[in-house]
Amino acid sequence: MDVMVHSSSFLLPKIHQPAKTPANNYTLVVLNQHLPRFMPRLWAHAKLRICADGGANRIFYEMPQMTNDQDCETTRNRYIPEIIEGDMDSIRPEVKRFYSNQGSTISDKSHNQETTDLHKCISSIRHRTPSHEKSDLCVLVTGALGGRFDHEAANINVLYVFSDMRIIFLSDDCLIQLLPKTHQHEINIESSVEGPHCGLFPIGAPSTSTTTTGLKWNLSEAKMRFGSMISTSNIVDSEKVTVQSDADLLWTISLRNLT
Amino acid sequence: MPLPCRQQLRPGPNRQRLRQLGSTKKRKKGYAPSTRPLVKGSNLCFLFVKHKYTNSFRVPCSLLIISYSGSAPHRPRRPRHATSPPPGGDQSAIAPMPLPTMTHSSSFLLPSPPAEAAAAADAVAYAVIVLNQRLPRFASLLWTRAQLRVCADGGANRLFDGMPELHPGEDPDEVRARYKPDAIKGDMDSIRPEVKEFYSNLGAKIVDESHDQDTTDLHKCISFITRNPPGPDKANLCILVLGALGGRFDHEMGNINVLYRFSNIKIILLSDESLIFLLPKTHNHEILVDQSIEGPHCGLIPMGMPSSSSTTTGLRWNLDNTSMSYGGLVSTSNIVDDKKVMVTSDSDLIWTISLRNHT
Repeated sequence: MDVMVHSSSFLLPKIHQPAKTPANNYTLVVLNQHLPRFMPRLWAHAKLRICADGGANRIFYEMPQMTNDQDCETTRNRYIPEIIEGDMDSIRPEVKRFYSNQGSTISDKSHNQETTDLHKCISSIRHRTPSHEKSDLCVLVTGALGGRFDHEAANINVLYVFSDMRIIFLSDDCLIQLLPKTHQHEINIESSVEGPHCGLFPIGAPSTSTTTTGLKWNLSEAKMRFGSMISTSNIVDSEKVTVQSDADLLWTISLRNLT
Repeated sequence: MPLPCRQQLRPGPNRQRLRQLGSTKKRKKGYAPSTRPLVKGSNLCFLFVKHKYTNSFRVPCSLLIISYSGSAPHRPRRPRHATSPPPGGDQSAIAPMPLPTMTHSSSFLLPSPPAEAAAAADAVAYAVIVLNQRLPRFASLLWTRAQLRVCADGGANRLFDGMPELHPGEDPDEVRARYKPDAIKGDMDSIRPEVKEFYSNLGAKIVDESHDQDTTDLHKCISFITRNPPGPDKANLCILVLGALGGRFDHEMGNINVLYRFSNIKIILLSDESLIFLLPKTHNHEILVDQSIEGPHCGLIPMGMPSSSSTTTGLRWNLDNTSMSYGGLVSTSNIVDDKKVMVTSDSDLIWTISLRNHT
């Protein structure tokens, strides 16, 4: 079984990037919830920034509070998303006008009411990424957790539907990502920015055998399912955590107080 | 190898009961005689074809609805096997038995609940648990509805800080005295010393369970409430939990797992935006929707296990013996189209519905 390596180096200040990272082509997707306080750091790492509909409102109104710029206008001119995509029912007219004038591509997908804005964004990222670049690609998503519960569930389903892509959800408190059962997983822990609390969840289907190393309470061919045992409030005990399972698992790790 | 801690390995009361009962349950497929599909099969096929490229079906909304009804007897559940049954279902020779119906209502969110409901012999007895997140805007309303109020550790800090904020213009300490918990339970590693002292002086029972690191604070509180139910018996108990959603994701998952582990108890997780509860597969579910306080957005979520057959009425996009799974169809952004939503499924589902802004 192939090994998939993971790292949260995108949470480090850009200048501290390790020489070799599993993915160095970051795309940032901003959904319509409060921006995490480390958003400027994510923005700096990303080669492409996409706002999903009302996510553009968040960048427009909340970024100025996160920078040391003298005025809002300077900040807004510095943080222009390349694309704004979605059904456009949440973005404010003045925000749409501003970014459109600044050169952002407005991709109106309002004719498609069958999929969520996140699904549309991930789908178009996949279509526009050439095959040889796909393994290097990592999509960072803010605003996917919390808020209305059915939205969160739909967003998590996007991780499963696009399980062949690296997609990481980030909030102020934690990050989550899918560990597909098709691979063994090696998670490199950046303890200056993440941990120690972590967990593993069999959200789609139970696991009859999961094995880990690097955790305070490791699993050894353990069964996990909702209604019984799932791994919550575990602790990372090593610089490297390995996970192997017969089921797709969601991995989560807490984030330290980053600014 | 020592058992890992904090992984909820200890079987809850529900699981032990499962081991003792070996009864089988077979759900009758299709609709109950009183219902009919609102969406024809052909329409649903059309929706599915549209999303072929994703290799999954997307129904605009799905949420698991779990409903409890105080009056329906709880049906013994068949022990689960570690591996899921094949998608085709287990076609055993056992004749299908009709499922009892569980009724659910969010009337506890009404500003003035119906007087006859409170006076009824089988009136619901509410307990409230406050976890360690910001109080939702309707916390005071639920507090006055409840007959038993428990804070889980740092939830006491949230109550202490948050209640005066919900009552601006009033003296903070008077507000705190009015909204004091009956008990504060948990491992006490988050509660501030001055908060603990304040509520202890007001008579709140402080139950320190720091010796028990195997279960979450919510699990401990649920156990406490089931041992000390506010009403005459547990059958009409409904536990409302504030602060269970959002925040650290492993906490949220642990809280949702508590719904599964105590599936014979009505437990509702509430946030400012939505509420969720479990719909056990052992029952048909009747969810009464009051559009003045909730909706229209809703969903059904097969958390932890796929469903090969779920059927609903009362939704804009109903399910019709539809399969649901992560990676496939999950019903989200659905719309409640009726005062009553019916759900039947071969799998436990999570129901969620949005809450109105003024609730």
